[in-house]
Amino acid sequence: MTLLRTEGLAKHFGGVAAVDDLALAVEEGEILGLIGPNGSGKTTALNMLSGFLVPDRGSVWFADENVTGKKPVALARRGLLRMFQTTRVFVRISAFDNLLTAGLARGLDEAEARERARVLLEELTLTPVMYLDAGQLSGGQRKLLEFGMCFIAPPRLALLDEPFAAVHPVMRETMARFIRRRNEEGHTFLVVSHDMPIVVELCDRAACMNAGRLIAIGATRDVLQDPVVIEAYLGSESHV
Amino acid sequence: MSDARNLWSHRLAVDFRAALVVVAVLAAAPIVVTSPYTLGILIVSMYFALLAMGWNLLAGFAGQFSLAPAAFAMLGAYVPGLLDYHWHVSLAVGIPAGIVGTAIVGWLLGRVVLRLRGPYLALTTLSFAEIARVVISNSYDFTRGAQGLNVPTLMQSRVGYYYLFVAVVLVVLAGLFFVMRSAIGRFWLAIRDDETGAESRGIDVVRYKTLAFALSCAICGLAGALYGTFSQLVSPELGLLLQTGIVIAMVVIGGIGTLTGPLVGALLVYLASEWMRGLGNVQMIVFSALVIIFARFFREGLWGLVARRRVRALPRAAAGAR
Ligand SMILES: Nc1ncnc2c1ncn2[C@@H]1O[C@H](COP(=O)(O)OP(=O)(O)O)[C@@H](O)[C@H]1O
Ligand SMILES: [Mg+2]
Repeated sequence: MTLLRTEGLAKHFGGVAAVDDLALAVEEGEILGLIGPNGSGKTTALNMLSGFLVPDRGSVWFADENVTGKKPVALARRGLLRMFQTTRVFVRISAFDNLLTAGLARGLDEAEARERARVLLEELTLTPVMYLDAGQLSGGQRKLLEFGMCFIAPPRLALLDEPFAAVHPVMRETMARFIRRRNEEGHTFLVVSHDMPIVVELCDRAACMNAGRLIAIGATRDVLQDPVVIEAYLGSESHV
Repeated sequence: MSDARNLWSHRLAVDFRAALVVVAVLAAAPIVVTSPYTLGILIVSMYFALLAMGWNLLAGFAGQFSLAPAAFAMLGAYVPGLLDYHWHVSLAVGIPAGIVGTAIVGWLLGRVVLRLRGPYLALTTLSFAEIARVVISNSYDFTRGAQGLNVPTLMQSRVGYYYLFVAVVLVVLAGLFFVMRSAIGRFWLAIRDDETGAESRGIDVVRYKTLAFALSCAICGLAGALYGTFSQLVSPELGLLLQTGIVIAMVVIGGIGTLTGPLVGALLVYLASEWMRGLGNVQMIVFSALVIIFARFFREGLWGLVARRRVRALPRAAAGAR
């Protein structure tokens, strides 16, 4: 079943077509990788999927409901959650309180949220720093904490924007393991990433954007070997 | 290094207990303080404590730096005043009307400034405050303008008023404690720390921000309504920006984002300003300097310093880094 799909999605910034006529579908239960050189419109697409940007044109469908233009809160309530490229944690409360707050926000009662927070901290190797203010955590630890906040009440679909960028390899592995385990439990992911080895390892399918357009979608290996994709990456200054 | 004492629930519980001790001291004060003059000073300082707690809810807990607390105190004071003056409505109706009225206006202001942050938010709330004050000053026929309006009193006894203020401070404090312990309080802290992040976690930012405005303004309105009946005169001067400046100084010096801080800050700053009254305008210089020093070097104010000493070695090394 298709969990999320877009039709003719477009967003312009001034003269720049950040996203242009994007038709993308995420199947329930899969991990779809979204790749593409810097500035190709991946974050803008995610912003429209999660309600942080209103598209100029086109529509977003989540579980067969037209959710175009709905606010992030409304989408979160339906189980569509996203993580940002830059971490967004609540810096002046403890890591544990961050998780607790996220759980309450998703409608858990406090006892349940506390329990799940403890389990997640353990799984994410954050137990030793659980009492530190989130602002005192390292970048990687904050990313892990955000994973925890996203999954304290598991979303139907998680949109992750460059979760592995600038993260220590050990933590990267913790994150990949976390995603894989959740996926085995049936959760669906759309992962934007530049890290090709991880994309290959993690994603069943991949989609590639260039200059706002979708240029390839299919089995991950096929997409990575697609001449159009290679061309797009070689044509940009950014490296794979 | 770090331990469970840094959990919000624990920090809040300790904070609340300390605030209760301060209230207990206030409640006991009339045993030694008998002069009506000194009791009057303490009553006014509790009026400021209520404003400080109200403003702190919005700025310290929910992260919305408003410049309108004094304006809401003024509005809260005028509602029972005008109801009595024009329609002989009793204070039993007038005071609750002042609270509800300021809550509604606060809610509306919250809607208007919803998308504004930082200096834009501050300047818009400042404009609102000044417009409200100027309108009241200039509507002579309705409000008697700068001359002010006489308000009936709730009781003749000064000690009675003293205990009324102590009781109201206690109720507001307890209310804040329970709200801050609940999901609502946690959502405010999340919005304060990262509004977009809060939104992405599924927190209804619009709803909780406007709620913070409504409650904060209602507390300020309550303070103003009570103060008006105590002084038996309300005038636009209650809404002067200077008054807001004093409230901010109290919160920053006492400890922003805490329960005890605004209370202690208000008492200390007001008592100190009374003490310095004889020295001319030196007060504002002293308090301005203190605000700068606290804002720069002691971000958590006096209560932060005390609480930190209690919870030894809670690491704050990264405080400057973020
Ligand atoms: N808020 C914005 N205002 C103006 N231009 C933007 C904005 N956000 C993105 N862009 C532009 O849109 C294009 C796509 O950006 P983005 O979606 O961030 O790409 P990616 O995430 O793939 O690196 C880029 O050219 C970028 O400069
Ligand atoms: Mg991006």
